[in-house]
Amino acid sequence: MIRRLLCLVVVLVLLCAAPAAAHNVSAGADLRIAQTIAGMEVTVVVKGTTRVPGPLRIGVIAFEPVTGPPVELAVRSVEDGRTVTGVARPVLRDPQYTELRVERTGPHELTLRAGNEVAVVPFRVLVERGTGAELLIYGGFFVAGLLLVGGLLTGAVARPGRAMAVSGGAAVGVTVAVMAIVFEPMLPAGPPDGAAPVVTSQAGGRPFVQGRVETVPARPAVGQEFTVRVDLVDGSTGRPVDDLAIHHEALAHVVVTSEDGRFFRHLHPLRTAAGRLEVRLRADRPGAYRTHVELEREDSGGQLLTGRFRIDGEVDMGSPEGGAEPAGAAFGAGDAEPAAPPRMRPAAPVAGRPATVELDATGPVRPWLGMSGHLIVRSQDGDFLGHVHEMGSGGPRLRFTFSFPEPGRYLAWAQYALADRIVTVPFTVDVSETVQ
Amino acid sequence: MKRIMIAVALVVAAAVIFIVGRGLAAEPLRVSSAGTRYAVTVVSDEPTTGRVSVEVLVTSGDPDDVAVSAVMPGMGHSTPELTARKAAPGRFVAEGELFPMTGAWEVSIRLDGSAGEEVLVVNALITG
Repeated sequence: MIRRLLCLVVVLVLLCAAPAAAHNVSAGADLRIAQTIAGMEVTVVVKGTTRVPGPLRIGVIAFEPVTGPPVELAVRSVEDGRTVTGVARPVLRDPQYTELRVERTGPHELTLRAGNEVAVVPFRVLVERGTGAELLIYGGFFVAGLLLVGGLLTGAVARPGRAMAVSGGAAVGVTVAVMAIVFEPMLPAGPPDGAAPVVTSQAGGRPFVQGRVETVPARPAVGQEFTVRVDLVDGSTGRPVDDLAIHHEALAHVVVTSEDGRFFRHLHPLRTAAGRLEVRLRADRPGAYRTHVELEREDSGGQLLTGRFRIDGEVDMGSPEGGAEPAGAAFGAGDAEPAAPPRMRPAAPVAGRPATVELDATGPVRPWLGMSGHLIVRSQDGDFLGHVHEMGSGGPRLRFTFSFPEPGRYLAWAQYALADRIVTVPFTVDVSETVQ
Repeated sequence: MKRIMIAVALVVAAAVIFIVGRGLAAEPLRVSSAGTRYAVTVVSDEPTTGRVSVEVLVTSGDPDDVAVSAVMPGMGHSTPELTARKAAPGRFVAEGELFPMTGAWEVSIRLDGSAGEEVLVVNALITG
């Protein structure tokens, strides 16, 4: 009997399992999404609501002093087309939340406008429905309370039989309420209001993403603003892939490096259309470049897409990244710190074995992309790219552990956020052959 | 006493059916989507595998042609487009096989008219 009951509970849990959490905004589960927009690196936070109609609060966190324009917001229900608008000013510390009103649950689109750039982020507003046990609990206690009073009154007018019956009813009410309290955690909650329909019994995951990574224009010039464009197509249906999960607080992480590693950018592209991501940047060095795009399709796992392009022209001597720099100096995002170089443990890393990189932050570190530090590792030829997360004690010492897959020279960039800037520490790692 | 037992059994059965049914019910499909050019409500009384009838009620815009197709993102399946016939002003009906198997489907409604072309996508859970 108990086994049967357990089986029933398991079946119920499987049938009513919660939907995959992709771009869902519900109370206590905020949507955080990093965007590189109008030259700013910001994280947009959408706070969930417990009810509809209800407030949807949106804030924009900046990671460097804001010089750009405010971000115009528009939230549109995809079901009825109703749109509400507001403006959010990116701030370095706790964001000032702009309150917009949503009328219903279900699919919505958040449009962000800053400068002449526009991003459209699809998301769902969810509101928990609960199991319905509250009704039993409160109802049971309510009935019990009424009947207890009735029982006392009946007893007081000396009708013991009826008093017993009424009090018995009260006991039933208490029993129902207590049973509901005890068994409620075992009962599966229905999917939240506004959730996309899902089935949990499906094996495997979604098909692979076929990606095309290109630049617009195809041959940008030194100093010219250009767009890195990523077009995503479903490998099985041929349709645009528009179901990217939020992967480390972004739709995608785009890493653009010059082949020699002297230019480095870690950017978060904007979704400009279904299956299309775009981010704008400038490069100050001519030559060959590599683009690596890290993204995750819903119910499919992470993927890495790559692209190549060339920058035409002469070295821009006036830029902080142009000109001849001593090896190992501040190549990168132009914000490198004069910090002590990172330490390696072991000092000479061996291919295939865990190696640890330690560096000291130059100030109090704050979380960026959900972590206190990120380490981007690229093989010298650009064919391999790793993205390592900080796994330290939470103090100013940042620690990354990574097994370099093959011997050779790797280019590495450690990144972390201080109160008012994102710091990039470039360095190289020489990995030796496995020792027999 | 026997009547009470029957009543209790009925209440328990009703509770179980309520809880299980919430997860299983093959509800009629009725879902809306609003784009920039058109807005539609998609209705299907019996969304099921095999032959199905899907009604597209255009609540905004004036399309000349409406076509319906489906994709199951989880499996990577897609189905041919069904051309919807205009049954009444603002009401199009597509009939044919749209869902080869049960599961979570995305139904694409392609609308074409003087305002231009737009594809609106709604979700459908096919349980039987």
